[in-house]
Amino acid sequence: MKKLIATSLIAFTGLSVTAQERKIDFVEYDLDNGMHVILHEDKSTPIVAVSIMYHVGSKNENPERTGFAHFFEHLLFEGSENIKRGEYSELVEKNGGTLNANTSQDRTYYYEILPSNQLELGMWLESERLFHANVDQQGVETQREVVKEEKRQRIDNQPYASFMGEAFDKVFDEHPYSWIPIGSMEHLDAAQEEDYIDFYRTFYVPANAVLSIAGDISIEETKALVNKYFASIPKGQAINLLRDVEKLEETAFTSKYGISNKEFDMVDFSKSSASARKLIKKYENMGTVIPRPSVKEKPLTTVTVDTVYDNIQLPAVFMAYRGPANNTKDGYALQMINDILSSGTSSRMNKKIVEKDALAVAAFSFAFPLEDPGMVVTAGIASKDVDLADLQSALDAEIEKAQTELVSEEEFQKIKNQYENQFYSSNGSVAGIAENLANNYMYYGNTDLINSELDVYNEITREDLREVAKKYFTKDARVILHYLPKQQ
Amino acid sequence: MKKIITSVLALSCLVANAQIDRSVRPKAAEAPQINIANPATFKLDNGIKVIVSENHKQPKVSMNLVMGSDPYYSDSKAGLTDMVSELMMSGTTNRPKDQLDNEKDFIGAFLNASSSNIYLSCLTKHLDKGMELMTDILHNASFPESEFDRIKKQFESGLLSAQSDPSSMANNAEVKTLFPSHPYSMVMTEKSLNSITREDIVAYYKERFTPSGAYLVIVGDISVENAKELANKNFGNWEGSPAVESSFSKGEFNTGNRVIFVEKPGAVQSVITIAQPIKMNPGEEDQIKLSVMNKILGGGGFGTRLMQNLREDKAYTYGAYTSLDIDRYGSYISASGNFRNEVTDSAIVQFLYEFNRITKEEVTTEELELNKAAMAGSFARSLESPQTIARFALNTYRNKLDSDYYQNYLKKLSAVSKEDVLAAAKTYINPNGLNIIVVGSPDVLESLKQFDADGVIEKLDAFGNPAVKVEYKEADFPKDVILERHILALTGAKNMKKANKVFKKIKSVEQSIIARPAQAPIEVQFTAIYKEGKTMSKAEFSGMVLSKSVFDGEKGGSKQMAQTGGFETSAMTEEEIALAQKFMHIAPEYAILKNDINYELLGMLELEGSVVYAIQYKGADGPVTSYYDAETFMKTKSVTLNKTQEESFETVASFSDYKMVGKLMFPHTIKQVMGGQSFDQEVIEIIVNGKVDDKVFEL
Repeated sequence: MKKLIATSLIAFTGLSVTAQERKIDFVEYDLDNGMHVILHEDKSTPIVAVSIMYHVGSKNENPERTGFAHFFEHLLFEGSENIKRGEYSELVEKNGGTLNANTSQDRTYYYEILPSNQLELGMWLESERLFHANVDQQGVETQREVVKEEKRQRIDNQPYASFMGEAFDKVFDEHPYSWIPIGSMEHLDAAQEEDYIDFYRTFYVPANAVLSIAGDISIEETKALVNKYFASIPKGQAINLLRDVEKLEETAFTSKYGISNKEFDMVDFSKSSASARKLIKKYENMGTVIPRPSVKEKPLTTVTVDTVYDNIQLPAVFMAYRGPANNTKDGYALQMINDILSSGTSSRMNKKIVEKDALAVAAFSFAFPLEDPGMVVTAGIASKDVDLADLQSALDAEIEKAQTELVSEEEFQKIKNQYENQFYSSNGSVAGIAENLANNYMYYGNTDLINSELDVYNEITREDLREVAKKYFTKDARVILHYLPKQQ
Repeated sequence: MKKIITSVLALSCLVANAQIDRSVRPKAAEAPQINIANPATFKLDNGIKVIVSENHKQPKVSMNLVMGSDPYYSDSKAGLTDMVSELMMSGTTNRPKDQLDNEKDFIGAFLNASSSNIYLSCLTKHLDKGMELMTDILHNASFPESEFDRIKKQFESGLLSAQSDPSSMANNAEVKTLFPSHPYSMVMTEKSLNSITREDIVAYYKERFTPSGAYLVIVGDISVENAKELANKNFGNWEGSPAVESSFSKGEFNTGNRVIFVEKPGAVQSVITIAQPIKMNPGEEDQIKLSVMNKILGGGGFGTRLMQNLREDKAYTYGAYTSLDIDRYGSYISASGNFRNEVTDSAIVQFLYEFNRITKEEVTTEELELNKAAMAGSFARSLESPQTIARFALNTYRNKLDSDYYQNYLKKLSAVSKEDVLAAAKTYINPNGLNIIVVGSPDVLESLKQFDADGVIEKLDAFGNPAVKVEYKEADFPKDVILERHILALTGAKNMKKANKVFKKIKSVEQSIIARPAQAPIEVQFTAIYKEGKTMSKAEFSGMVLSKSVFDGEKGGSKQMAQTGGFETSAMTEEEIALAQKFMHIAPEYAILKNDINYELLGMLELEGSVVYAIQYKGADGPVTSYYDAETFMKTKSVTLNKTQEESFETVASFSDYKMVGKLMFPHTIKQVMGGQSFDQEVIEIIVNGKVDDKVFEL
């Protein structure tokens, strides 16, 4: 889905009045090695966000090795060829920055926010991670325990948190969305070092990465640094050849490639031997194939009901349906109708089900923003003296209303007003802008969507909302989960 | 729409020309300049001081109206400000809550009120509407009776769980200890909540929502001229009484270390807090130096003294942190973490060691530079938010800081030396005046004595009030007599011989009970069956078995519904079987007498308005304390300490509504409280000597 920017036109259109004010300007281009670069200059605060989004998530995983994409989010803090274990975070913090990462079903995102005079540090850190991170048994052992603890805290010990895993598992059969990013602890235990290395070599390559930088930068200076740290990573499979040059013992390397790794000069490739240079060229010309799932899940045809016992005090009901892919008109429309149903204190579900009828302490409806056709969930946590069946009827009634009647003009305008507010909130920080730029490129192939997203919502009609509600909230094809308190 | 698309000369595949030594770490470029613009200020005729910070980066404006009175304090109505905060947004005389929510959501605004401020944030184009809502709340908040009742109920539920939450307990103990008779120390209790009336809420609002001494902070996409106009138009005509002035002590300073203990029965870990007040006002010369000291000691990240010691080195805990709070009403420093029972005393030793060390030795250059850099970075990043600038402005005025305090912050931070840090520690930290607050099991109590300067540990309850010490009076009967009287009361017999006969005639008892959890809208069916040396108990929901325990006299076990369907089963251990056999009887008191089980008579005391006898013994499920009414000898209450592998919790059962069924008295109403959950149980049916199939004693 990556688009190469081939034109060299600099286009100016006159300033025109649009629904959206305050455009976010940016520069974008591809490197020869396939990495996409997006730069946004904002000198108002002396900080910069340096980030890389890799187009790998849990849906790219081997079904016998789930949890890898998320695991790498942790593993890639273990250092690199030039960074000792534990040093990565320390380097950022010592230099006044903050860092983090997150994983979804579709992508893994790493970022640092640094004082702007540390831009080069950020570039070097991310290039170290991309080029030659430490992916080895020691790191794996350490992070396994950390990930297990994370699962305990975030999912096992959190009331209702298991609903996500349960719902995805039941809603999807063949598609990798049937498992969630945290994956299986058993798979992580069973995996060998080679499995991890293989994952790294497959997915952590420039052609699978988007570099997004926003903040107090100068575009020209930043381009030079991008050139220095990232354009210098060769294309194709040469990166894996060079990883072997650094990691393998001489005998192992020679038996694999026919020449010694000592013939390579890692600082200046042109100083390598002729055979080494030839080998680099050969591997550069090998294409990079990123495994992406192509399975099209068959539609649900029945209603599945199941009960889960949890450490909760209030029972809850979760109803899950197949949903659209996020980057489609249906995706936008579904988001709107869900927000009308449950976003904010004056939303339909909150006003009627929670406040007026006191059937629930919380009620919500939302779709997971996924790259492939995903899942939408409507749920409620029951309040005192309420039968779960009654709560479910009430939720179904709200959905039915959305399927048969048009939303009011007032509700419709309200949602659009809320989206406008959210747009500014999410683009109110350089970290937010960097991520939004990368997201728009990766999911929609259109970075400029950061400036025109509100227009997309403006094109949706109230009829569209009714249609999308009918299409996806299929009463006879869904998964219903009842959450009940464990008995002491 | 302005788009800039440029292309770059595609790098020809001359990777071979790339020259980069990746082992060379980049150096920082020149440090950027920070410029914090001074906001504009002006005053309205009615006393409101307006601060305007222009920022046109986004088309958004925020307004924060902050009241000028000193904080509220009452020794009887703790919780009043919490209730006011909840109720401010519950409707006005012009708009019921629904309408208010609707209008706010329509413009996508963020609008919130507390007991001392109202805050609005919205897009510039919706500002007029936003102000309309904000001023309506300000002038016309109506506190409807129904909302008052609803919120009060909400707080009641909250109190129940707060009682068993160790961090709340620790926090309550801390504020009461450091700042007695001070606004910080107001901890809501059932009693204080009950004393709050709607009139109190209205009176508070009328008194304290006044322009006198108030601040209006306007940030964002608005010019100073427009801000003036807006402020005058919306707030200019507002009148009110003078702001309330109060003064409070700035904290209780100790001359020796003080140990404060809050009991959490059966706790497997302790929450340890080490805290003391600090004699400092915001903006004082030493504040930045002391905050560097705090950062090094335990202010976040892994490289701090506490983390290196308690986590990395000793592995006592996952995390131990400090926080430093400098405020014009009272400042303090506080360190805390969770620790297993066994290492509670050792952990305190290390806390004290670190507090002491930082007042005696200079920190290292590495520690100093790393932590200063982290603080500088954090400061720089905070400047991105327009709200930060607004907060700086408000702080500057309220605390009377130098007008360039924040502009010079980084410079001052950079200048902090090792000597400065040591001097600040010596001045403000008293390693022999610390409060050591422990929330945990009574098992750790003894080991804490060594840390108290007087050797006397003060005990507080979950709300930070002095723990009520249970004073037993000597019983007027010997212990056996009490148990016998109870058995006679149960059987209605005149003497033990007749009572034995009654028991002999009872072959089986089957009880059906409906349990209603107070916080969940469901009904669970309990069944308990006893038949000559065998027992079974079962919990079902809508016909599905949730859990079941059986004992057939020789062996037994239990099963529990597993999360993924199916059951988790476990068998009784030899020890458990032995205990079950010992206690095998309809009435445990009978088993105690008959089988010569060890028990203690604690004495007599007043419990919930009646005089009772208290008996203690080690029961089949854990240690039990039972209470028997001094007049009727019926058991009114029983407290069991259940221990599972992961945790311990107390089960408190209260019995009432005794009725005779088949020659025995049974309670027909039982209220059970476990952890933060309470269950009301209603006995539906009791069948004595009915037909019981032995199959029910199979798992």
